[in-house]
Amino acid sequence: MSKTVKVTIDDQVYEVPAGSNLVDVAKFHADNDIPVFCYHPKMKPVGMCRMCLVEMGSIERDRTTGEVLLDDAGNPKVRWMPKLQTACTQVVSDGMVIRTTTAQVQEARKNVVEFLLTSHPLDCPICDKGGECPLQNLTMAHGPGTSRMNFDDKMKLDKHVPLGDLIFLDEERCIQCARCVRFQSELVGDDVLAFHERGRSLQIITVSEPGFDTYFSGNTTDICPVGALTTADFRFGARPWELTNVPSICPHCPVGCNTSLSTRLDRDFGGRSMIKRVMPRQNEAVNEIWLCDKGRFGHHFTRSNARLMEPMLRRGDRALTRATWNEALNAAVTALQAAQGDIGALVGGSLSNEDLWMLRGLLKGFGSERLGVWMTFGGLDLLMQVGVGKGTNLGALGKDDAVLIIASDLEEEAPIWRLRLKQAHDRGAYIVVANARKTRMADFASKTITYAYGHAAHVMAGIRTQFPEAASRLADAANLIIVAGSEGLTYEGSAALMRAAANFLIETGHIGKPNNGLLATAPGANAVGAQALGFTAEGARDLMANPPKVLIVAGADVLGDDPNAAAWLSKVETIISLSLFPDALTLKHAQIALPIQSFAERDGTFTNGERRVQRFYTAQGPMGEALPTWQVAARIAERAGHGRAKLSAAAVMAEIAQSVPAFEGMRYTELAKVEKHFPDVGGADLYYGGTSYKNLGGLGVQMATTADRGETVETAEVTLPELVMAKDGALLVVPTTRLYNREWVFRASGDALMNARIGAPFVEINHADAARMQIADGDLVDVIVSGAALRVRAHVNGGAPEGSVVLPRHLADAAAPLTIAAGEVRKVE
Amino acid sequence: MTNLNIIYREKDIPDIREYNVYIANGGYDALKKAISMKPADVIDEVKKSNLRGRGGAGFPTGVKWSFIPQHEPRKYVVVNADESETGTFKDRQIIENNPHQLIEGAMIAAWAIQATAVYIYIRGEYWDMAHALERRIEEARKGGFVGENVGGSGWNCDMFVHLGAGAYICGEESALLESLEGKLGQPRVRPPFPAQKGGGLYGEPTVVNNVETLANVPWIILNGADEYKKIGTEQSSGTKVFCVSGHIVKPGNYELPFGVTMRELLYDHAGGIPGGKQIKAILPSGGSGPIIPATDEFLDTKLSYEDMAKIGTILGSASIIVMDETVDITWVASKITKFFKHESCGKCTPCREGTYWLDKVIDRIMAGEGKPSDVDLIANIAKNMQGVTLCALGDFAANPIIHTIKHFPDDFKQHVSGSNGNGAKAAAPARRAAPVLAGG
Amino acid sequence: MLAEKYAERIEKIFAKYPDKRSAVMPILYIAQEEYGWLPQDAINEVAAICNLDPTQVKSIAGFYTMYRERPKGKFWLHVCTDLACALRGADEFYHQLEEHLGVDHENDTTADGVFTLEHVMCLGACDRAPMMQCNFHFHENLDIDKAKALIAQWRAEVNAALNPPQPEFT
Ligand SMILES: Cc1cc2nc3c(=O)[nH]c(=O)nc-3n(C[C@H](O)[C@H](O)[C@H](O)COP(=O)(O)O)c2cc1C
Ligand code: SF4
Ligand code: FES
Repeated sequence: MSKTVKVTIDDQVYEVPAGSNLVDVAKFHADNDIPVFCYHPKMKPVGMCRMCLVEMGSIERDRTTGEVLLDDAGNPKVRWMPKLQTACTQVVSDGMVIRTTTAQVQEARKNVVEFLLTSHPLDCPICDKGGECPLQNLTMAHGPGTSRMNFDDKMKLDKHVPLGDLIFLDEERCIQCARCVRFQSELVGDDVLAFHERGRSLQIITVSEPGFDTYFSGNTTDICPVGALTTADFRFGARPWELTNVPSICPHCPVGCNTSLSTRLDRDFGGRSMIKRVMPRQNEAVNEIWLCDKGRFGHHFTRSNARLMEPMLRRGDRALTRATWNEALNAAVTALQAAQGDIGALVGGSLSNEDLWMLRGLLKGFGSERLGVWMTFGGLDLLMQVGVGKGTNLGALGKDDAVLIIASDLEEEAPIWRLRLKQAHDRGAYIVVANARKTRMADFASKTITYAYGHAAHVMAGIRTQFPEAASRLADAANLIIVAGSEGLTYEGSAALMRAAANFLIETGHIGKPNNGLLATAPGANAVGAQALGFTAEGARDLMANPPKVLIVAGADVLGDDPNAAAWLSKVETIISLSLFPDALTLKHAQIALPIQSFAERDGTFTNGERRVQRFYTAQGPMGEALPTWQVAARIAERAGHGRAKLSAAAVMAEIAQSVPAFEGMRYTELAKVEKHFPDVGGADLYYGGTSYKNLGGLGVQMATTADRGETVETAEVTLPELVMAKDGALLVVPTTRLYNREWVFRASGDALMNARIGAPFVEINHADAARMQIADGDLVDVIVSGAALRVRAHVNGGAPEGSVVLPRHLADAAAPLTIAAGEVRKVE
Repeated sequence: MTNLNIIYREKDIPDIREYNVYIANGGYDALKKAISMKPADVIDEVKKSNLRGRGGAGFPTGVKWSFIPQHEPRKYVVVNADESETGTFKDRQIIENNPHQLIEGAMIAAWAIQATAVYIYIRGEYWDMAHALERRIEEARKGGFVGENVGGSGWNCDMFVHLGAGAYICGEESALLESLEGKLGQPRVRPPFPAQKGGGLYGEPTVVNNVETLANVPWIILNGADEYKKIGTEQSSGTKVFCVSGHIVKPGNYELPFGVTMRELLYDHAGGIPGGKQIKAILPSGGSGPIIPATDEFLDTKLSYEDMAKIGTILGSASIIVMDETVDITWVASKITKFFKHESCGKCTPCREGTYWLDKVIDRIMAGEGKPSDVDLIANIAKNMQGVTLCALGDFAANPIIHTIKHFPDDFKQHVSGSNGNGAKAAAPARRAAPVLAGG
Repeated sequence: MLAEKYAERIEKIFAKYPDKRSAVMPILYIAQEEYGWLPQDAINEVAAICNLDPTQVKSIAGFYTMYRERPKGKFWLHVCTDLACALRGADEFYHQLEEHLGVDHENDTTADGVFTLEHVMCLGACDRAPMMQCNFHFHENLDIDKAKALIAQWRAEVNAALNPPQPEFT
């Protein structure tokens, strides 16, 4: 595809891609780990630490003929540069020659390490990074044997400086590589870290309000090449060499970041395997080597004492009481059999593919196909037709490419997509952000489009006439991805938006190829898997409209999301709840409550927003008597005489792969395959990429779309939704998504650190509306929709457009409306 | 031709700083002449004159200008008036006494590369001079030599003064550009160089020249390169301002043709050494260049780029610091080390850590607590700093240690010889107080 | 506050550069002029004016020595004790000043808060040593007597400001 050049590394000639970085090339192609501290393959080189010095020259050519000149021995003549050069600041060029093993280079490396150690404390035995520390490793490999620096002369500095609540700085350990500073400004776009003073007094500081508290802060601790930055979550938690790393997938959002769960047999967990920290695992096409802080720190819920730990039955009208699995399964069989096929299943967006398949099988055994997924996101079926093409990599988008993000607050809904699309913007991609209000992503947009809430589908369908210039740039881009959310949209509105977006992609030919197509920020780690396995939002609407006799609810906090659901739930005779937590639905409506395992306790797969099916592995000891959802379903089916239960998640997946075309070929062995990444951050040379882990658990496999398979996909008419109107002084109440919220996984985590990140409940009101209603910033108000009031603080700012208020979901314990609705705001006197 | 004042014309015309006086004495004629020429011809003339940069490195100015790509829409000239090298005070005198000549030279440079603006980066401590210079630029603007339609040529190029705020490193051209962009004054990775797209101010091609360099340009344009080349030596054309300070009867700036000897400079012009003392050593290029013992051979060496290189030192910015026989060279090394420790920007490891470490050990030596091996240690630390830093400051910081120890080993021995290596004090001068430095 | 009070000057500064960030140093000087030093409020204001994060502005203030990050005396005395000046007696001059003002390294500001004495590196006045800068203005070819006279004069200025002459009764 791209041009190659020839470089000579320690007398070997390599043909490598033109334009790449010398350090990256040496590592990937020549297996030569040039030591680095400041250089990081994901950031621009700065040449600060001087660790990567090499001898460098170029092959001499005859000025006129261009022929390579040879020396007496017949080898190409090399014109060596007089001084050593930093490899990290070099782009490979044809005829480049380097030497990395000579005495001069060894000496330079030794000296740089010695300089770094002059002020660095030798506290490795009590350092969090000890055992996985680049400085420690490079000192072993290249450093001097003894210290010539008088111990009394060392810097005495502050060792516990909080840069925010999550990240601590040990000033003595910092080696001024600026990786954290550059990560924040280059990759995140939040300049909240900087150097203060100069010379040897240089220190990392923040005086921002809030300080270092972005959604991506934890990544700096991975790329910090010493133990200077540590997370409040893991600090002093364990020594790296005690940890076993289990490949996993983050369960929190559609990105599907690959993670490593660092576990240890822990006294605090009954001597069983316990997650001590969550680290990123490299998957260049998915999360590269990054993780958001929710994914990193949001693992405590798996060990929460608030979890549902044993089966329970409601005997008569009384409260749920403890039952054995035997009793509970029998009760479920009895209820299901009695329903004579009038049954349904409603699932949440984060059940694994295996769980969903077995639930579907369970219902089928009883003669029902009523499957629903608990969400108001419409049009997910289009992802199976024109979703982003196989081989898509947001990291490949750049100049000539375009992305439209519409009706989504991307940073809150899919943080790593936002991080990666900011990079695309920096590489020159044309990024359009369309929403009714300003979102964080708009800071990294080439163009923003503002519309009135509810009109997203109208804008998408009419973009050519309403925004002709933007539309033609999107249409004419080499590659185009549309990311659709559902902010401010009803189910119908969301379905219409997806349809309109799909039409645009089809009409402009941006389908069926990598880096083109549709993405959706449908909530949950497996919304796409649910769709592919027949659990649909339409199905859910049908279940609500015509409640079945028996309803299985699995992994869906129905009442937590929508208190109005009580109306239709009470029409169901028997509710069987499979849940991680004793949520309101379980406590108030379920006859049978069955505890299920979290992602950490079992094997399984999620299908991410890009339709990549990815495996996660058992990492942590189970809580109580909880079982994997698929096993619960399989055991009920077995008891009902519908065949023997499968013995493993792998066997379930094998069956899915055989039965569902979308999953063709996706056996566990396939999903576990890995290949070498560029840049190759794995391996022992932690100093290169940081402590993000090598991917040994598999890269997953992307489902093919209809378009990928080369079949024709047609546009279809967009049925524009009826707009929700606010009349007579009423306002549009728009529920929005916040990454940190009071959903069960956070609230019940028992983790003070994460809980402190959840904002106090608020509603954003426009200045004009607030003035009209005589509401001041900070006032306590009731937001009233269909009679239900939610008490929150008013934030009077420019966040909400006039006539609408923005009400983040799940900040208060009571639920916000499910989708956009007319309502009122009343000041609490 | 010892009284040829190309730069310091106030010696001949005391009020030359005044716009009217400057104009009355042929001021801005060179600029008028330049804009009647093709930009490429202006560059050629400067190239031919063999004018070399007076900021320290001596790079041929015309060649530097010719690196600027022609067709970029935005280009800049940046005047380096950061003058912070210990012992340097020559640019200040130009700005104070002959400011219009600098403005004129900078505008000629701007024409030659077809710049869109000129920024004068002046060290913050030259507060009063900077504000005065702004008023001089305003005069030139009113006279039509700066700003819109310069000299009726249709070409627009404005000129602005930017005040630094106390950082020697901002004299280094890429750190200067960072600072001008409102960032920390830390050097950039090169390439790209300032002249290249992506490397200059705001990423645009940029020429950075020293004040004295540009003050030569009007003379060259008016009198021609051939006339200019007649002054000085073969490889160092023109006059040079020598800043003489330290143990000297008449400290000050001396503008003399290249090729004058050190002896002539110090004794004929600067009045010799006070009290008839002997010279012990000379720093010919401020704190950053190698120190040289004042041998007869050295005193009789010509002051030019090529001759100084032959004897193992540099002319640099020609800030000549004279030390008489009473001076303890270890103390000199410690003074200079403190300077570089204070001025290291901290970006790269060997300089940041090396200057800190050197200072610690020298303090120990000066306090009489050093061991003989400490002298070897600092020599080795300095050696390890050489040639591996991001910018030249790291090399500058190594120089004073390496060359003081090389040339004056006894001065060091005297501090450490009494030590038994167990921390017992040597019979040495009392510890000098560690300076308290401004800022912070 | 700065933004309104110095609107005109700030406007002029912005006009010099194609990028607002370049204005951060000149505007920090304005803030320092207003506040006497650079407290966090000043940093925040400058950040808002230049559209930067406060941390970036703080970083600039910390790098350059002419910005004061702590309150200092009304008269900020900078004595160059760098090599060239030291060869001409600057170290001694500095110690004499210390004694005269009654300050030392730890307590570099006089008890009445009027004077702060600090060493600085070369200020480009090596031929006129000893020298000092007072609030960035040069005073050269000094000796301790000349310096004492200047100090007396500055102290008198402060006293005059503190105790303005009372109107006379007739
Ligand atoms: C640490 C350091 C400090 C410097 N300080 C100055 C300075 O104060 N003034 C100056 O003109 N050049 C200084 N230079 C040289 C500049 O980087 C640059 O070479 C010069 O401004 C080019 O102008 P010229 O070609 O006219 O000499 C310094 C270089 C270094 C490495
Ligand atoms: S050599 Fe010194 S001044 Fe230059 S970049 Fe390195 S640390 Fe900064
Ligand atoms: S200078 Fe190359 S890795 Fe730091």
